[in-house]
Amino acid sequence: MPAPVFEIENVSYSYERVVALDAVSLTIPAGRRIALLGANGSGKSTLLRLLDGLSFATSGAVRFCGQPLTEEHFQDETFSFDFRRRVGLVFQNPDVQLFNPTVFDELAFGPLQLRWPRDLIRQRVTNTLDDLHIAHLKERPPHRLSGGEKKRVAIASVLILDPQVLLLDEPTAALDPRSQSQTIDLLAGWKDTGRTVVTATHDLDSVEEIADDCFVFQAGRLVAQGVPASVLGDADLLRRTGLLHAHSHAHASGEIHSHPHRHHDRES
Amino acid sequence: MRPNRVIEGSIHGFLRVLGHTLESEQLARRAGLLQTIDPRVKLLGFLGLIVAAAASRRLEVIASVFAVAFILAVSSRVPLRTLIIRVWAGAFAFTGLIALPALFLTPGRTIGRLPVLGWAVTAQGLRGATYLISRVETTATLSMLLVLCTPWNHVLKALRTLRVPIVLVVILGMTYRYILLMIGTAEEMFESRRSRMVGKLEAKEARRLAVATAGVLLSKTMQLSGDVYLAMQSRGFRGEVYLLDESRMRLRDWGWLALFLALGAAALWMGR
Amino acid sequence: MGHCAACGTAMARAFTGKPRQPPCYDLKNSVTIWTAGAAAGPKEMHIPDGYLSPATCAALYAGSAPFWYVALRRLKRQLTTKLIPLLSVFAAFSFVVMMFNLPLPGGTTGHAVGVSIASIVLGPWASMLAISIALFIQAVFFGDGGITAFGANCFNMAIAGSLVAYFTYRAISGHSAIVSRRRAIAAGVAGYVSINVAALLTGIELGIQPLLFRDASGAPLYAPYPLKIAVPAMMAGHLTIAGLAELILSAGLVAWLQRSHPSLLSATAPGAAAAGDEAGGFCWRAIRPLLAGLAALMLMTPLGILAVGSAWGEWSAHDLADPSARQQIAAVSANRPLPAGVPRGLERLSSIWTAPFPSYAPPFLRSSSFGYLLSAAFGSGLILLAALVLNGIFAARRWSG
Repeated sequence: MPAPVFEIENVSYSYERVVALDAVSLTIPAGRRIALLGANGSGKSTLLRLLDGLSFATSGAVRFCGQPLTEEHFQDETFSFDFRRRVGLVFQNPDVQLFNPTVFDELAFGPLQLRWPRDLIRQRVTNTLDDLHIAHLKERPPHRLSGGEKKRVAIASVLILDPQVLLLDEPTAALDPRSQSQTIDLLAGWKDTGRTVVTATHDLDSVEEIADDCFVFQAGRLVAQGVPASVLGDADLLRRTGLLHAHSHAHASGEIHSHPHRHHDRES
Repeated sequence: MRPNRVIEGSIHGFLRVLGHTLESEQLARRAGLLQTIDPRVKLLGFLGLIVAAAASRRLEVIASVFAVAFILAVSSRVPLRTLIIRVWAGAFAFTGLIALPALFLTPGRTIGRLPVLGWAVTAQGLRGATYLISRVETTATLSMLLVLCTPWNHVLKALRTLRVPIVLVVILGMTYRYILLMIGTAEEMFESRRSRMVGKLEAKEARRLAVATAGVLLSKTMQLSGDVYLAMQSRGFRGEVYLLDESRMRLRDWGWLALFLALGAAALWMGR
Repeated sequence: MGHCAACGTAMARAFTGKPRQPPCYDLKNSVTIWTAGAAAGPKEMHIPDGYLSPATCAALYAGSAPFWYVALRRLKRQLTTKLIPLLSVFAAFSFVVMMFNLPLPGGTTGHAVGVSIASIVLGPWASMLAISIALFIQAVFFGDGGITAFGANCFNMAIAGSLVAYFTYRAISGHSAIVSRRRAIAAGVAGYVSINVAALLTGIELGIQPLLFRDASGAPLYAPYPLKIAVPAMMAGHLTIAGLAELILSAGLVAWLQRSHPSLLSATAPGAAAAGDEAGGFCWRAIRPLLAGLAALMLMTPLGILAVGSAWGEWSAHDLADPSARQQIAAVSANRPLPAGVPRGLERLSSIWTAPFPSYAPPFLRSSSFGYLLSAAFGSGLILLAALVLNGIFAARRWSG
C-alpha cells in the first residue's frame, strides 16, 4: 500500500454556524486517482480547500506527507513554498483563477511567486502551453477566451509547477460537451503516472474513467467509499445522496431507469 | 420621461466600453508605426508632448504638436473615423459648449458683436476659447493614440519607468481585467430585465432595478475578491508581486525616445 | 459715474455705496453658468487636460501624493495579502457603477461616482485608492478625464470625496444599529455632501485659472471663467443632478446591504448599538427646534437690504475715494475727519481676495433679496457641515481608542 499523501483525521469545519464538514476521516494514498462525489453543498469543495491549505479545520487534523496543515505551519516560508509547488488546486470558476492580464502572465504567476529564474520560467511556460495545445492563446487576455479555453489555461497555470498532487473542483461544470470530453481525456491520461489526483465532482458519467477510488459525501459526512463500479452500481446510495447517474431518470412512481451509455470515437 | 433610459442608457454605456476595448486590442495589433515602438518610449515621449501642449503659451506650438499627433496617427493605421468618434467630436462638443460664452464674457478689446443679443465678442475671449479647445483636442488625441496603439498590459508595465510601485501596476491590471468581467455581469442583468419588460418602467421601479443591480454586483464583488485571494494564495502568493518583463529596448527605440523628447523639449521651449 | 466696458451701459450706484454689477453681466453670467452647469452636471466632474495650468496640476498631484502614499502603507499593513484582490475588484465595481444611468426625480438621469459607498464599506483609505484606480483607468484607457489633470480629479473625487463621505456618514449615523434607517439616510447625505464638496473644489480650481494665468494680451490661457462663474456652474449641475444620483446610490445600496449582507457595513460602524437599542450620538430630533429657528433667521435675512448706508467700518477702498460716500461716512462717525485719501495699505490689500458672492449678491441673481437668502443658506450650510465633520472626528476618536 503506497504511503498516504493526505491523512484526514476526524476533521470538522464550520463557518458562521454552518457545519460544512462533520467528523470526516479518510486517507488518500499516493499515486491514486480519487473522486469525491456528492451533491452541491455536501462538503467536497470545502474538503478540497482544506487539502490545499486555504482553510484550516476547526477540529481534527489534516496531514500532507506526515506534515500537519495548520495556519502556523504555513507562516514558515520554506514549508509554504514547498507545499505550493507540490500541491495545486484548479478552482471551479476559472474566472477566479485567471486574474492576470494575459495567458502568458497567468502561467508565469506561480513560478514567479516561487522565485524561479526568469529564463526557466519562460521556457516552462512555452512547454506547458504546447503540452496543452494552447500555444496560440499565449498573448490573449482572459476575457477573450471561451469557457473551454479558460479551463485549459487554468489547468495549465497549475500544471506548470509540475505538482505531485492535483486537486480539481468540478472540472467539467459549465463546459460545452467537447471541452468536457477534452478535460476528461486529460484526467484519464494521468492514470499510473505517479501523480495523485483528487477530483470533486457530481458528474457521474466520467467517474469510471477519471478515478480509481471514490468517496461519497452527504451533508458534510463521508457516507460511502469504494471503487467506481461498486459505488455507481448502488442505485439506492446514489438516490439517497442526491446523485443521479446522468443517463437515468426517476419516475414519480419511484422507479429509476438506467440506460447504457455508448462511447463515440473521440478526436484527440 | 423615458424611464427606459435607465436600462437602455446603461446597456449602451456598457456596450460602448466593450466596443472600445475590442477596437483598441485590434488596432494595437496592426502593422503601423507606433505599434512597433517600445511601450516605455511611447509612454515617456507622449507624456512629454502632452505636458508641452498643456503648458504652451502659444497657439502655434499647440497646433504643431497636434500636427505631430496627427501624422503619427496616420502612420499607425488609426482610422480617421475612430479618432473623430472617440476623441475629436466629443471633446469639441463638450469643450466647445463650455468655451462659447467665454467669447463674450472675457473683458478686453471688442472685435465684433453677436447678432440679436448685441453682446460684444472680445479678442481675448476668442483667444481664450481657442487655447482651451486646441489644448483639449491635442492632449486627448495624444493620450488616445498611446492607448490605441499599445496593448493595455504593456502600457501598465511601462508605468514602472515612472517609478509607480509594482503593487499598483498589478492592481491596475487586475482591475482592468475584472472591469470587463463585471460589465458582462451588469449587462446581463439589465438585458434580462429588459426582455421581461412589458410597457414602460416606472421611475420608482427603475430606481429599484438600478440599485438592486448595483447591490448584486457589490456582493459579487466581495465574493470575487475573496475567491481571487484564495486562488492567488494557492499559487504561492504571500504578499510580494513580481513582473516578468518581456520587452527589450532596441537601437531604434532609443532613437524614437530621443526624437520624442527633443520634440517635447522644443515645444516647451518655444511655448514658454 | 462709470460705464460698463462691455456694453456701455451707465453704471448705477446703489444706495449702500457699493457699485452694482451692470444688468448685462447678470444675464450673460447666468446663461454661462446654466449652460456650463448643464454640460458638466450629468457627467461626473472629470476635468480634462487643458483646463488647468501645469502649475495647478502639479500642485494637486503633490497634494494627492501624500494621501496615496499613506493609504497604501496603511492598507498594506492592515490587509497584507488581501490588498491586491480587494482593491482591484472594488475599483472595478466602482468603474462599472459609474456607468449606471440612475433615474432622478424630475425625469432626468445622472451618474454616481460610488465614492461614498466605497468609504462606507471599505473605509476612507481603501476608498481613496480604489476610486483613484478607477479614475486612472477611465482617464488613460477611455479618455474620461485628463492625464495631467489626474491628480486634480483624484484630489477632488477620490480623496476629498472619501474623507467627506466617511466623516459625514460617521457623524450622522452615530452609534445607531447597523440595520437602522438612520444609516441609510446618513449614507445618502454623505453621498450628496461629498459630491458637492468635490464639485466645489473643482469649481475653485477652475475658477482661479483666469486669475493667475493669462497671456500677454490678457486672454485666459486655461479655463476662462472666474470663480464667480465657475463655482456656481459646477455647483448648479451637482446640487441638482450628480449629487442626487450619488445620494440615491449610497442610500439605496446601504439599505440593500442591510437586508442582504449587513456584515459588510460593520467595518465603519464601530460601537454600533444592537438592533432595538436607543441610539446615542448625534440626534437630529433633539436639535430640530434649533434648526427651525435657524431656518426662520435665514428667511429674515433679506431685511438687511432695508438698512441704510454701509456697516460701520466695513468700507472698501472705493468708498474712501468717492466724495459722496466720504460724506456719509463722516456723518455716521460723529463728523470725525477722515484720512485724506485711500490709505495705501488698504488699497494694496483690498484686491487680493474677491469673494465668490461679493456684497452677498451672487452676480447672476438679479433679485438682491434672493441673493441674501442664498448666501445665508450657503453660509449656514457650510457651518453646519463643519460642525458635523468636527463631531464626526471627535466621535471617531472616542471610539477608536
